[in-house]
Amino acid sequence: MRPAPDQLRAEAEGASAGLPALMLSAERLAAALVAGAHGQRRAGLGEDFWQYRPATAGDTARSIDWRRSARTDAQYVRDREAQVAQSAVIWVSAAAGMEYSGGADRPAKRDRADLLALSLAMALLAAGERVALAGQPPRPGRVQAERMAQALVARAPLPGDEDAPPAEALRPGQRIVLFDDFLGDPQPVLDYLARAAGLGVQGVLMQVLDPDEEGFPWRGAVLFRSGSGALRHDTRDAAGLRMAYLARLAERREALSRAGRSAGWHFGTHDTTAPPSQALLWLWSVLEG
Amino acid sequence: MLLIGPIGFLTPWLLAALAALPALWLILRAMPPSPRLVRFPGTRLLLGLRDPHPVARHTPWWLLLLRVLAVAALILGFAGPVWKPAPDQGGQGPLLIVMDAGWAAAPDWPQRQARALRALERAAAAGQPAALLVADGREDGALAFQPAPDLAAQLRALRPASWETRYPPDPAAALAGAPAGLSALWLSDGLDHPGRAEWLAALSARAALTVVPPEGPRQSLELAAGDQPALRLRSTGAAASDVLAIGRDPQGMPRELARLKPGEGAQDRGVTSWPVPIDLPSELRNRITRFEVEGQASAGAVLLADDSLRRRKVALVGDDRAGEGQRLLSPLHYLRRALAPSTDLIEGGMGDVLQAAPDVIVLADQIGLADTPGLREWVEQGGLLIRFAGPRMAASERLAEEPLLPVRLRAGGRDIGGALAWGEPRGVAEFAADGPFAGLAVPADVAVRAQLLAEPAPDLGDRVIARLSDGTPLVTRAALGQGQLVLFHTTANAEWSNLAISGLFVEMLDRLVRSARVSAETPEADPAEQPFWLPELVLDGFGRAAEPGDPVPVAAADFARGPAPAAPAGLYRGGERMVALNAGGPMAPADWPGIRIERAAEAPGLDLRGWLVALAALLLALDALGSAWLARGRRGAMA
Repeated sequence: MRPAPDQLRAEAEGASAGLPALMLSAERLAAALVAGAHGQRRAGLGEDFWQYRPATAGDTARSIDWRRSARTDAQYVRDREAQVAQSAVIWVSAAAGMEYSGGADRPAKRDRADLLALSLAMALLAAGERVALAGQPPRPGRVQAERMAQALVARAPLPGDEDAPPAEALRPGQRIVLFDDFLGDPQPVLDYLARAAGLGVQGVLMQVLDPDEEGFPWRGAVLFRSGSGALRHDTRDAAGLRMAYLARLAERREALSRAGRSAGWHFGTHDTTAPPSQALLWLWSVLEG
Repeated sequence: MLLIGPIGFLTPWLLAALAALPALWLILRAMPPSPRLVRFPGTRLLLGLRDPHPVARHTPWWLLLLRVLAVAALILGFAGPVWKPAPDQGGQGPLLIVMDAGWAAAPDWPQRQARALRALERAAAAGQPAALLVADGREDGALAFQPAPDLAAQLRALRPASWETRYPPDPAAALAGAPAGLSALWLSDGLDHPGRAEWLAALSARAALTVVPPEGPRQSLELAAGDQPALRLRSTGAAASDVLAIGRDPQGMPRELARLKPGEGAQDRGVTSWPVPIDLPSELRNRITRFEVEGQASAGAVLLADDSLRRRKVALVGDDRAGEGQRLLSPLHYLRRALAPSTDLIEGGMGDVLQAAPDVIVLADQIGLADTPGLREWVEQGGLLIRFAGPRMAASERLAEEPLLPVRLRAGGRDIGGALAWGEPRGVAEFAADGPFAGLAVPADVAVRAQLLAEPAPDLGDRVIARLSDGTPLVTRAALGQGQLVLFHTTANAEWSNLAISGLFVEMLDRLVRSARVSAETPEADPAEQPFWLPELVLDGFGRAAEPGDPVPVAAADFARGPAPAAPAGLYRGGERMVALNAGGPMAPADWPGIRIERAAEAPGLDLRGWLVALAALLLALDALGSAWLARGRRGAMA
């Protein structure tokens, strides 16, 4: 049962209400092509007033501020503060495994990831950033939150176990946030990271896991099936597999973390039983820094 | 029997199977349970992993316990456990078993057999000889004492008879070869039968006698005499069961047609009897083949329906325009009075009564009506048309062409004994012994003053079934198709003769009506005159009907005495008549003064087998539920 867009939005507003306005760090301002809400403390393209300066050769008659110029004999031009386009792109995996929930008392991983994604998006939008889901043009404004909520809810889960972020939608100047369990084939993610590093795009990998996947509580004879049923593993003694599984999980995390570090990315994990605000705060601090 | 505390086991060797339970525990323990099916997104991380300890996880101990308990309950159940079994009474001497084997013993026959077998087993264990007296009237002579085990097969094959329990006539001769120290077990059917007192005296003098009375009340069913058909239900108990009327439905399938409620009961010397009126439409009643007391599997509680039960539907057609004061002049009045008690009467125009499909149509002094379309076809399909002569017929000029008469009539009547006639009124001659009226007594005062005469014909003699004292025909009969035409050559009122106001008239009409729908080829005879009866359907002691494999003719004299070894209860055919020989009848409860009576409560103890088997089934059901609960992951993954 997927929540309705309104419901998801209301929850996300609740989750992000405590956050102060989130400002993306503006390391890559110079490369920005579109003006964003980040004042650069110098004159440039933007909305806000910056200074009046005497008109020089090359200024068009249209750019002269006639009201200011009327007070003196010189002509003045009204400069605006330079602003830069900084946009955040959020991607949530739709793999079949994301629908998993280990118990009735905790949400499916997908639901938690959606909630985190939208909360983050709303915090960013409230700070005036441009936000979009991967593959869509980033836009500012509250309406964008509405659109994203609908798009998140409307997305059907994929039949297969694998879902990878769209590498071709990477643009310079974006900050990327990926929500996934990263339990599938790691290669597409590593390739994506490599390409992002090549484009100078930074971001965050957020691994959302169910406590079952972190703790491996099974015992006895169990036939494991992946989310889509494509992969199976039959065991007579599941408890005996626990250590090996945990070791592999740690190894996977280590590999992702290492690849992320070398590309300038951050890697974080989130447990569906933990409060979402915890993950949001971490995401915020990472994006801000 | 093996006794462990208060519980006895009938087949104790089966308990040896309990020794196999530990082995079963180990086998069940080693069986791997079916794996749980778990949907797990991290399965990719598991691929290629090997089980560190590849041993089966054990079945949960509670599931194992359930299964072992179920098997143990089954073993204990089949070992025949009995709670507080009654100690076997009686002496340890040679055993004589007296089995009442009439229909009254049928309802609880298996229990009787089991009780007798138990006694036999005990005698066999003690190494004593035993003898079996089956009181069904087929045994005679001295009782043969044999080793007890040889009798068991005979006892098991024994079935109750469909007649009353009968004891051999001479107890002294039968017991002549009995050894000393005899102990006797009498399995009574609870009723008194001829010779029981003598046997009781003889046995109590020679042996330690124990009597086992039946458990429930005995019930019997018989046809009650009277104009209205009714049954009589008797019971040694106080409660009356319903009586089921069973017959073929319009599709020809045997089924319960009606359920009859007994009326007010009356008690007489330990037997309560209830009248059970058969208050049913005649169409339904004519389809009934048997009545049986609900829940009593006994030949005595079954009544087979025969011709006597069928109530004919008789249609009267005639001129009934006589006014109030002239009622005694109307022929229909006499017919109505004669037929109403024993038949269902319908009256009306010819077209109307044919619609009602009667068995018999009576035409009183009608001419021309015989041309009614459909009447001839009705007769040819088996209808019985009875016509009466009268003044209107006598006056008809076209009497010779009148159809549907058994004989051709001469125009104009014949007056005898009138003012202008020579002769005296004629009486009725004795009926021929092979005719339908055979055996009816002719009152001397019956006289006929006028009649219609038949044209002489070669076959006239064959068609006359009643004559006047001068040999002229009074009643003639002829077959037409499957039906019959009957003509009374005189009137149905007192105008031409006083036959109509005599009892003979009623009896003659009754005989004729009863012969309706019976093939008219041979004349029917009274049961007493029928020399032999052939069984068509024979009842066994439980009241189940079967066709006799080898129908043995029963002499009429034996037949009249009721069911007997030579004439089992059933349905018998003689000529065209079907007569049922029913077992049920009057009953008298037996009393046993001063004799040791085995009460049912103390007899067998409480049989625990059913409870244990039910317990095992319950445990297995719980096991199935538990297994399903363990495998519930499978369903979750399928969804």
